[in-house]
Amino acid sequence: MSTKLHELSRSHAQRRALKRMGGRERRDALWGLFFITPWIMGFLAFYLMPMVSSLGFSLFDFTLSAPEDARFIGLDNWQRMLFDDPNTWHSMKVSLGFLAISLPTMLIFGLLLAILLNAKHLVGRNLFRTLFYAPTMVPLIAAILIWESVLNPSTGWVNRLISLSGFEATGINGLRWLDDPSLVYFAYTFISLWGIGNAILINLAGLQNIPTELYEAAAIDGAGWIRQLRKITLPMMSPIIFYNLVLGLVLQLQYFIVPWVLTEGTGYPQGSTSFFMVYFYKQAFTFQNMGYGATLAWLMFVVTLIITLVLFASARFWVFYGGGRED
Amino acid sequence: MRHKIRMTRFVVLSLLLVLTSFGTGSVQDVSARDRVQIRWFVGLGTGTEAEQIAAQEAVVSDFNASQDEIELILEVIPFDQAYDVLATQIAADNAPDIVGPMGIQGRADFPGVWMDLDPLIQETNYDLSDFDPALLDFYYLEGEGQLGIPFAVFPSFILYNKDLFDEGDIPYLPSNYNEPYIDWEGNERPWDMSTLREVAMVLTVDANGNDATMAAFDPDNILQFGFGNWAGPHNDLRARDTIFGAGSLVDGEGNAVIPPHWVEAEQWFHQAMWEDFFYPNLIYSQSELLGAGDTNWFGTGNLGMWHTHMWYMGWGTANLDADWEIAPMPSHNGVVTANLHADTFGIMKSTDNPEAAFTVLTYLLGEGANDLTQVYGGMPARISLQDGYFERFIEVQQAAYPDVEWAEKNWHLVTEGLSYPDVPNHQEGLPRSAESRARYARYAEEFASDPDFDVEAELEKLRLDLQAIYDTAD
Repeated sequence: MSTKLHELSRSHAQRRALKRMGGRERRDALWGLFFITPWIMGFLAFYLMPMVSSLGFSLFDFTLSAPEDARFIGLDNWQRMLFDDPNTWHSMKVSLGFLAISLPTMLIFGLLLAILLNAKHLVGRNLFRTLFYAPTMVPLIAAILIWESVLNPSTGWVNRLISLSGFEATGINGLRWLDDPSLVYFAYTFISLWGIGNAILINLAGLQNIPTELYEAAAIDGAGWIRQLRKITLPMMSPIIFYNLVLGLVLQLQYFIVPWVLTEGTGYPQGSTSFFMVYFYKQAFTFQNMGYGATLAWLMFVVTLIITLVLFASARFWVFYGGGRED
Repeated sequence: MRHKIRMTRFVVLSLLLVLTSFGTGSVQDVSARDRVQIRWFVGLGTGTEAEQIAAQEAVVSDFNASQDEIELILEVIPFDQAYDVLATQIAADNAPDIVGPMGIQGRADFPGVWMDLDPLIQETNYDLSDFDPALLDFYYLEGEGQLGIPFAVFPSFILYNKDLFDEGDIPYLPSNYNEPYIDWEGNERPWDMSTLREVAMVLTVDANGNDATMAAFDPDNILQFGFGNWAGPHNDLRARDTIFGAGSLVDGEGNAVIPPHWVEAEQWFHQAMWEDFFYPNLIYSQSELLGAGDTNWFGTGNLGMWHTHMWYMGWGTANLDADWEIAPMPSHNGVVTANLHADTFGIMKSTDNPEAAFTVLTYLLGEGANDLTQVYGGMPARISLQDGYFERFIEVQQAAYPDVEWAEKNWHLVTEGLSYPDVPNHQEGLPRSAESRARYARYAEEFASDPDFDVEAELEKLRLDLQAIYDTAD
């Protein structure tokens, strides 16, 4: 209640301030609006309008190759998606399953590597920072094709390396990273880790913003590395972790390029790579069911929105900003 | 003074050169502008191999030189990307004018985009008497019209690796239809699916030299397989099962059906993969042994018998270091079925220049057909071009692949295969064709991955899923 009152009084104050604006301030405000107009136009043309249009498309049987034959079918596409099409929930399950494996891995690796690269005892710190960031510069498609060779069951160096330990990783009964449904998510996560450089960079910037006095004081009080990590690093890094979490969530739910390049959307092996976005793309563009594709896109939007809202709601319990927890 | 004269000459000459070049440029520009541009999209069928591209470029060049009204532009897209590229071009309102060569399936995958050629055929009095009416009907679709004119047909047959037969002391396959097979014990057997199975098992050899009929055979270390189909283990069950008889996954009322002989075929193939081991399962099909995911198993030299089509001849065996021969299709329950592929060119409804596109189409079916069918490997659909086809084909292949004795192969079996076409054709359109195919491709992938796959139950599941897809079609 008090928060609402506070917000109300603040908006009244802003309005009063606007009214009090002199000619020069108003001109400045108009110039500001003028300068952001291209962005607003871009937003309207490339985001808002397509979103509204796609909501409209979802009510039509609309084939891409014959748009003139489109016909209004009401909520049929929605009914098919939610109740009749087993692929909808299968592909959603695949996307969420992969998210559950890859997102924590990406977050943990990104943070741990950043901590490592921030360690003052690390020799050649700048060199390692460059090396860890360098893969991000490799075009994604090229990286995927390289990984496909690296994970090749017979000739890939991962299996050859494992074989050195005595485990029979190559051959017909070896580790088939990209062909075995129980291994494929781990293989895809390896490939995703290749592009972890940006997350490391953001984490590194966050780590460097933590005042060293806090560690010094903790050290004087006898806190070890683990305790410092738990009591200082993680709380101070929580806004950065939250940022990476939300960004990673959205990106992982839109996971498309890796499975598309490796399987051309067949879902191989055994439907385990039928990610939701792959299924959406196939419906909209391969099968040309643009109306149904638009419906699927909306489902993903709603699911992403709900999970993001839950994350934001949870943030008040674990994300610490400069002035304390976010209220 | 002399220097001045030289300078003046130089300047005048330069000016003349510049003016001439402007003049020529203007003429060329006007000429190019005046020509109607027709884009020819290749990729939905054959036509994407290097030598085929060269031949197509020559046809384009000849066509462009033959007149000054139309400029033909060739666009070749690799087969595995062509579908998506064309779909994107259509969606972006940037569709080509002519598409082909493409099979029945290629046409069916893009319903509603093809122009009815009938008005143009009437308008230009195009002579259709040189085409088999039955083949013309192949491209007539109720409600949409004449969507193509037959260009080439590609019968299917069995290719076998004679060297592998020799290594195993296995007698060669029959050389004629209705001829029995004489086995390694001198017994006469009908050339049918049962005999093929037995020959294939003897041809399948493991790392220890045991064949698939022996108790000591090691299925985890197979070095040579007995039989395969060009459609692979996880691609097209309709193409695979037609060897047991023609059929369709949709009946006349639009219901999803699995023909009973295809249920039998699927059980036969599953046993072939997981119990008899002569047909490569998914893991083997992607191994280095069979080309690391390439579908040309026969070309690796590690496959004994191969069910393929005429379009395979030439490039398919280019790297095969073994002698090979053509054999007839085996029968099943006394009936022989030889899958038939038939290619055409389609004009897209969206073309701005239907008359010009039709002119190009008639050129490809007429003057260009001889050269194109040679490189595509197809037998010309035009009756007048069929005479002497194999002599010309052998000549072309002999020049391209001189290590093979092309003239000594059983080419008569190719022509005779036309007497056993699959009706209905295995490439006939299904409701929501691309989506339906994606569904049964997923079935086939699981089939080839799982030794415990319950064929009958999964086929019933497939039928129900196909019905759900069909129900969403108009």
